[in-house]
Amino acid sequence: MSSQRMPITVAGLRLKRLVREKWGLISWLAIPTIIVFLMSLIAGTGSGKLTGKLLITDHDESAVSQLLAGSFNQGPLAEIFTAKQVTEDEGRQLMDAGEASAWITIDAGFGEAFMNNQPGQLRLVKNPAQSILPQMVETSMQLLVDAATYIQILFAEELAVLKPMLETQKFDDANLVALTLGIKQQLERLESTLFPPQLKLIEKQVAEVEETSTNITFGLLMFPGAIIMALIFSANSLAVLIWDDAGNGVIPRLAATPKALQAYSTGQFLGAAAVFTFLTTVLATLGGLYFALPWWQIPAIIVWLVFAGLVLYAMFVFIALLMPTGKVANITISATTFPLLMLGGSFFPMESMPPWLAGIGQFLPNGFLLKGLKDWLLRQEPMMEALWLPAVLGLVMLAAFWLLSRVLVRQLIHKV
Amino acid sequence: MIKVEALTKKYGDFTAAEDINFEVHAGEIFGLLGPNGAGKSTTINCISGLMVPSEGEVYINQHAVTGDAIQAKASLGLVPQDLALYEDLNGAENLNFWAQAYGLSGQFMQQRIDEVLQQVGLAARAKDRVSTYSGGMKRRLNFACGILHQPKALLLDEPTVGVDPQSREHLLGAVEQLKAQGTAVLYTTHYMEEAERLCDRIGIIDHGKIIAVGSVDELRSQMGEKDLITLQGDFSGVEPDWLAAHVAGFELIEWQPQTVRFMAEQAAEQLSAILGRFATGTVKQTAVQQANLESLFIKLTGRELRD
Ligand SMILES: Nc1ncnc2c1ncn2[C@@H]1O[C@H](COP(=O)(O)OP(=O)(O)O)[C@@H](O)[C@H]1O
Ligand SMILES: [Mg+2]
Repeated sequence: MSSQRMPITVAGLRLKRLVREKWGLISWLAIPTIIVFLMSLIAGTGSGKLTGKLLITDHDESAVSQLLAGSFNQGPLAEIFTAKQVTEDEGRQLMDAGEASAWITIDAGFGEAFMNNQPGQLRLVKNPAQSILPQMVETSMQLLVDAATYIQILFAEELAVLKPMLETQKFDDANLVALTLGIKQQLERLESTLFPPQLKLIEKQVAEVEETSTNITFGLLMFPGAIIMALIFSANSLAVLIWDDAGNGVIPRLAATPKALQAYSTGQFLGAAAVFTFLTTVLATLGGLYFALPWWQIPAIIVWLVFAGLVLYAMFVFIALLMPTGKVANITISATTFPLLMLGGSFFPMESMPPWLAGIGQFLPNGFLLKGLKDWLLRQEPMMEALWLPAVLGLVMLAAFWLLSRVLVRQLIHKV
Repeated sequence: MIKVEALTKKYGDFTAAEDINFEVHAGEIFGLLGPNGAGKSTTINCISGLMVPSEGEVYINQHAVTGDAIQAKASLGLVPQDLALYEDLNGAENLNFWAQAYGLSGQFMQQRIDEVLQQVGLAARAKDRVSTYSGGMKRRLNFACGILHQPKALLLDEPTVGVDPQSREHLLGAVEQLKAQGTAVLYTTHYMEEAERLCDRIGIIDHGKIIAVGSVDELRSQMGEKDLITLQGDFSGVEPDWLAAHVAGFELIEWQPQTVRFMAEQAAEQLSAILGRFATGTVKQTAVQQANLESLFIKLTGRELRD
């Protein structure tokens, strides 16, 4: 019976009042931005000596692979990394527990391929919670791969001679002399060769480093959680505003109209959705540019986070309406906000939390919504696989709280 | 248009309204006159559907409020006792909000908003924020929000409490206009003069019960031709026996150590004789009231309407 346009009018009035009042919007934008910025500054510069654990799984166990693995135990790299040979299972366990910086797997046949001038493969898994150490492993590997490539191209003939000798462990004097001479000649020829441009081209053919993650920094790990922080702050303020409208008599008066209370509730959700869209658009775009995310990910992030915001808003509205007075609602919602932020990965990324705490956090609504997003965004799980379960849970929560709120809002008139 | 049948409302053990019965017809203003806490707002809230009656039923335009709420509410306008406005929005924005809440839209809505702004004399201030309005202007806007949709039945809960004389004039004028247009108006107040001026019929309510109903003239006639005499002073140790025997038409209402009230015929003529019976210094103040709603209320309840 109320006008079709009423929800839009209600949402519009809500926005108008927020814009007029300004400080809410500004603080919702500013707080997470500042926190991410500070956190990435702290984590980015770091202090003290870096030491990291490097895991190596060698399925090949050839001379070449041992040479490669051994390079992390020599020279300057040895000062930074403790390299440890592990089996596939140990490697996976240690990485999952976050106890190593990086894990290199050398597949069987790598040495063989290398000797025969064929493409070979190394796999690198980095710990996403650390930014600097895994980066160094990657750079070192790249250098090694480059160097190996060089040897492969320049000394192709010599390698062909060397190969049977290594395999049989029988070193023929005549062949060794020829080999040495050949190497010497090649080195002399090298001096006059301009090789850098060739390097990259060759590198790709020979060895590919398969990465599980790209350039993950502490700031990037925090960024989705920080947007959720903005959503939690705004959702909780918006939810408590329902009590203002009960106190100022608007909700009781709406209850005396044929149907406008429903239109009002819908309008409040629309208004909240508009606020969340504004906040996530600004924050996700800024963050996306700062962290150089692929452009197409940004709209997907915005849609997901607006959805997350609505789930949280519906939950807060439900809590607010359950309370006997506006004051109690205010206190209760503020009290739930802090643990949600702490455990749900907005202050500290779950990756850097003790596993049992992160375990709890994953079951909070903001936690599972955030985890799904990060699994897709940062761990590069397929989008559908990472998001379907949190999406279903979120939808169920949203629908349930929405419906309960519509019933509970009627009770408000008896509480004021 | 509004029919209240055997309405009772209890808050826990406390009965705030008991067996209330009345009807308000189209083009009629029915007043509920009673002091603070008499049960006026409770009655209004049961009619508007904000509260569910403990017993009884309310019909608006023949639709039961509890059974057929949407139909009943569609014919109803409500001006609550407490302001229900967004103070940080302007008058026009508030009216727009409430017009849509009642399903108005488009050009008709705009036309209605302009009309009610004229009606309550706020056209010039429509674009100002409500927080800058005086108390009386807020009340006028609160009133305007309730009549936008031209309800057949209108509930006004003490719409003139604490307003300046100018705002009161605007409001009373607007209510008379609505009556002329055929609206059934239920008007609660604790101002006797307002009830006398405005209402076609009045129900006097006290402690949740309607203790007298009728037009102003009918209610006056319940007082007979008697006047009300109120004496203030020190009456401890004085007995009403002499007065009962000698005052024509004597009817005792209240005999307290500080206050004595009784009815008498032609009070003005008897007064000097009455005062002569008391020892000097006993009576400090004397008041004589001709039959009106105030004196009727005192006669019925032994208390004054205003507290
Ligand atoms: N929600 C409530 N709970 C308990 N008592 C109430 C409530 N509302 C009103 N009352 C009591 O009911 C009585 C009638 O109140 P009300 O209808 O507001 O009177 P009026 O509008 O005539 O001043 C008063 O004594 C008041 O204290
Ligand atoms: Mg009242």
